[in-house]
Amino acid sequence: MYSSVVRLQNAFSFFTTVAFVVAALIASTDLLAPRTPGVGVLKTTNVQVVRGRPHYYSSKKEEYAIIKFSLDADLSSLFNWNTKQLFVYVTAEWPSAGGSSGSGQNASNQAVIWDSIITSPSADHLANLGPVAMKKLKRSAQGKSIDPSRGRLSIKNQRPKYQITHPSGKVAEQDDVVLRLHYNVQPWVGFLTWNQDADVWRWKTLRNNLSKKFTLPSIKKKDETKKAAK
Amino acid sequence: MAEHLLDQVRDLFEGQIDFEGQKLVELLVNAALTLVGAIAFFIGYFLQDIKLAVYIGLIGTAAVFVLVVPPWPFYNRHPVKWLPVGGVTPPANLVINDEVLK
Repeated sequence: MYSSVVRLQNAFSFFTTVAFVVAALIASTDLLAPRTPGVGVLKTTNVQVVRGRPHYYSSKKEEYAIIKFSLDADLSSLFNWNTKQLFVYVTAEWPSAGGSSGSGQNASNQAVIWDSIITSPSADHLANLGPVAMKKLKRSAQGKSIDPSRGRLSIKNQRPKYQITHPSGKVAEQDDVVLRLHYNVQPWVGFLTWNQDADVWRWKTLRNNLSKKFTLPSIKKKDETKKAAK
Repeated sequence: MAEHLLDQVRDLFEGQIDFEGQKLVELLVNAALTLVGAIAFFIGYFLQDIKLAVYIGLIGTAAVFVLVVPPWPFYNRHPVKWLPVGGVTPPANLVINDEVLK
């Protein structure tokens, strides 16, 4: 500590140690906060299968499923002081038909149809929004550091973000398809955590997150009368 | 003249402090930064506000740097007593006994 430079270096070095320990403590407080997420309603409202191409110039034609759904869920308990963002996504799953050479009996096909990033007020400045929407978002938090109402989702007849298909290109008339809600808590410091299968101390599993089974319809035929009218 | 000025500037940037001062600095750095970390964590946890915790931590750390890095006068209260320049000439009848030194 004999010169200013040495004191600066030593003080900064201990500062990084303290910062690391405090961050570890903050991450560990996540385990103390109880999580009780639950889904009220998750159902499809409109399901269609259409023919299309992966992108404009590809020659392959595939079948795509467009699954509109309604969702009502309460994920507010997932927000605590260490939550930066909550990533919520809905997947469509169906069992595979029992593949060749003994594989695939337990396999299931899973594709994401919709996702959304829900920021905590402490991370609002990072949201992917324009200036007007950003101002509105920041004001909605009313200066609070945690806003539980952001975790209460209530969306009706939501158009999916992604049209899904199967590697074989065929999804029409597929039975036993279910929708499932997932979440991923992204903290300021600490490990990423997803919805878990079993209760872990104060963290409960996501209840009721499967929709009823439904069947994908056959390919939508173009309306013959509409064509004649043109 | 210029050399004298440069010496002063060098002394300022070197910021030498005496040994008692260095001991005090060591103690202050460890205690103050730990305290800042603890305060930042507990205030943040009980108010459930992580931005506040980070701000308290950073401002507290900056304050500790200001307290510790510059060579404040209170770090120089026990200056080292150097022998006079030129040293002391040994007395003429000084005998150095090797056996005592071993």
